[in-house]
Amino acid sequence: MFDSRAALRLLIGFLLALAFWFLFASAYERVLAPAAEFLIRLGESPAVTRLEAPGKEFLVKRADFPPGAPYPGLPSPDLHFNFVLLGALFALPPRPWRQRNVTRFRLAALCLFVVHVVFLVFQVESVYANNFREWSAAHYSAFARNFWGAGFHFYQIAGRFAAPFAIWWFFGRSEPLEPAAEQARGPRRKKKRSKV
Amino acid sequence: MKFRPLSSKGDPGTRQRSFGFLLRFVLFLVVFYFLVAAKPVNDHVIVPFTGWIASASGTVLNALGEKATVQGTEIHSGSFGVNIENGCNGVETALLLAAAVLAFPASWRHRLTGFLLGFLGIQVLNLIRVVSLVWIGRHRPALFDSSHTVIWQSAVVLFGVLIFLFWASRQRPRPANAEEKAGR
Repeated sequence: MFDSRAALRLLIGFLLALAFWFLFASAYERVLAPAAEFLIRLGESPAVTRLEAPGKEFLVKRADFPPGAPYPGLPSPDLHFNFVLLGALFALPPRPWRQRNVTRFRLAALCLFVVHVVFLVFQVESVYANNFREWSAAHYSAFARNFWGAGFHFYQIAGRFAAPFAIWWFFGRSEPLEPAAEQARGPRRKKKRSKV
Repeated sequence: MKFRPLSSKGDPGTRQRSFGFLLRFVLFLVVFYFLVAAKPVNDHVIVPFTGWIASASGTVLNALGEKATVQGTEIHSGSFGVNIENGCNGVETALLLAAAVLAFPASWRHRLTGFLLGFLGIQVLNLIRVVSLVWIGRHRPALFDSSHTVIWQSAVVLFGVLIFLFWASRQRPRPANAEEKAGR
């Protein structure tokens, strides 16, 4: 069964990733917001969206909002707490601090960053497309409303949990299939030593 | 269970199977998402199931002396109330497990057994999660947000992933030609 050392590594990885996440979540959001803002503004003419990350939420500020209108705030931890899962999964193999595992973890974290940027775009566009009633209906087609809304809903329900697993499987999986591989190879034969 | 690092320079067959697994996994996940997001399924399966979780959690909380009341998917304990929504009912982790188990090459009997046992395990852990969150919400409200989203949600999903890895490690690999035939 899942041995005690692997369980311990997983627990330590989970706690370390959790501590890292708590320490750097705000700083990370300040990197995420401009990256997503850049992508959103690519599709806008004129470019009016401005994303700010004051902590625990992303504030969506549009230049064309009426003066004094409240800015929509999007909860930020829901978007990127799955980093903790990625960190824990990369702690699974024996000697997780080895250079190869660390390099793969960095690549995987970069991929997860891209996922976060993309789904922050989905989140903002979903708010634009569905939350402003007449304005939304006037600026987004029925297909666009469903596309942005369903895209972000998919991330909330399944994507945010599946993403770290899929990325880990692709980059850093330590294959837990050794017993099966052993069976496939068949019984080991002892090498005969020739006597000289 | 021993863990063998999958080398990036590994044989192309292994990498191909690994990539194939990922593609099937994502495909099944999207299909399952649309299934549970459909309004009739949500209204007639997911919401009653979530109500059952709330009811079971209420029973456990009352047994622990917390004096909880349950209305549909809402649990109230003292001045604290919580509504169990999608994402908090263990269904999302079950979807993940189902997609991974289906994407992995194994017999249908093993897939069904793996999924059912895994689903049961996930729901037991989720029940502990809901009960503990109601307790935290009532007695340590400052800790509720981080416990709810980051700690417990990650723990439940991680548990689902571990169930899958454990199950996958116990499957006999199919012979290569059998996999080819299955793919036709």
